[in-house]
Amino acid sequence: MSESKTKEYEKPENIINPNNKFSIEVNNLRKVFRAKKGFDDVVAVDDISFKVKSGELFGFLGPNGAGKTTTINILIGLLKSTSGTAIINGYDVKDGLYHIKQLIGVCPQEPSIFKLLTGKENIKLFGALHSMKKVEIEENADKLLKILNLSNAIKRKTKGYSGGMLRQLNMIISLIHDPKIAFLDEPTVGMDPRIRRATWEFIRSLKKKNKTIFLTTHYIEEAEKLCDRVAIIDYGRIIEIGNPNELIKKYMVNNLEDVFMKITGRRIMEGM
Amino acid sequence: MNFKRILALLKMELLKAIREPAFFFLMLLFPALLTIMFGLVFGDSELGMSMNTIAPGLFAYACIFIIMTVAQSFTEMRDQGLLRRLNTTPMTSADFIASEILSNMIIVVLQVIIIYILAIPFGFTPNTSAVGMVLAFLLMIVFSLSSVGLGLITATVSKSSGTATGLSFIFILPQMFLGTFIPVTATTEVIAMFLPSYHATQALTAIFSGNLTDPLVLTGFTFISIVSIAIVIIGILLFKKSGNK
Repeated sequence: MSESKTKEYEKPENIINPNNKFSIEVNNLRKVFRAKKGFDDVVAVDDISFKVKSGELFGFLGPNGAGKTTTINILIGLLKSTSGTAIINGYDVKDGLYHIKQLIGVCPQEPSIFKLLTGKENIKLFGALHSMKKVEIEENADKLLKILNLSNAIKRKTKGYSGGMLRQLNMIISLIHDPKIAFLDEPTVGMDPRIRRATWEFIRSLKKKNKTIFLTTHYIEEAEKLCDRVAIIDYGRIIEIGNPNELIKKYMVNNLEDVFMKITGRRIMEGM
Repeated sequence: MNFKRILALLKMELLKAIREPAFFFLMLLFPALLTIMFGLVFGDSELGMSMNTIAPGLFAYACIFIIMTVAQSFTEMRDQGLLRRLNTTPMTSADFIASEILSNMIIVVLQVIIIYILAIPFGFTPNTSAVGMVLAFLLMIVFSLSSVGLGLITATVSKSSGTATGLSFIFILPQMFLGTFIPVTATTEVIAMFLPSYHATQALTAIFSGNLTDPLVLTGFTFISIVSIAIVIIGILLFKKSGNK
């Protein structure tokens, strides 16, 4: 992938703390969805704090409804927090969103793809929205398509794609501009085991390129195999954070699922 | 605004339009069928109506339907999570709205050409110069702005694509019955005076009669321009606030 000279928004003088080794810093983040009169408010994210180092593959693990997607949506600027701060690569999401959008790639949980366009047209569109040159888009697309084995279907309209193919294209689109930080929201849900393993390999290859990856998942095996560190979230609160193996040792259990069980008395999969 | 991004979005909108059979029918085939039907039914001068009196209203009528397609397109994109995804890129709201306006302007130009060509065999004899033709095109383009704006407003308040289709008729019906080819009475004219389609039809009638200095042309242009800009601004503000939620 092409490396360009330092861009305006990446210049140290334009970043809050240029020497910070953290790509993501979240402090006392809280999100409350206000309900209509007569109904209870929903506290989706409840005073969470964590930091993600540059080049780290950070997993956000928890059952459905735990607050994973709400957190990711605040970090990428789709939702406003009720209180607290979120800093991405030195920019506060409240006022530096334009700069942040140039640095991040977002793979949403549900494939959001233009169904009447071909796979290639979708890729080209999102590449152009990131101000990439045509040659760059072609080069990057070819590499990503080969890795994810999607080259043969790229000239077909995406409305004929299988669920797995849509998810793969969903990920390619989010990474076409070679972002510094990738937010992957449950990227392997609904994939068959073969495609899931190929996707894991792909995520590993991103880490080798020193990308910061924020991965939400409720697949225990995925988090254990891929992540440098995981944060386990439940009912909007982070209940544990650390390296998967260290957490397993700390709680003297067999896997992260058991860590969750030991802390909450429930299994992660119960919430599915 | 970023020209490259606008161009990429414009290309996407046009590809979608070409490949969506319903959209293709509504935007290009429907005006053609409408012109042929009206030509066959009202083309006989013995009925007291001629294509020359109907054609200006037909141009306006076709343009009004953009309200529905814009509202549908936006709500569908919102339902499919595409607006949220686009919002995670450096694209700005201005880029997106500009591409939407441009793509619809291209469609309006195509509609005008289709109606113009098909109306001629049914007795449409526009008595105007090249300047008049340019004016007519400009008027339709400015008029299409108001339709895009009303489409945005409809999309903002609609929860789904189906709702958007229904709600869009709140804006379509009054403009259709009080401002195009259906003659207005003294009473309905009072309401029609507030509708862009009425002024568009009046101005187009004057232009195609070769009377470019008719006050209706200037009044029409002024009214439609002011209303269109106001509607688009309201549409953009509403859409930015809650349209992509």
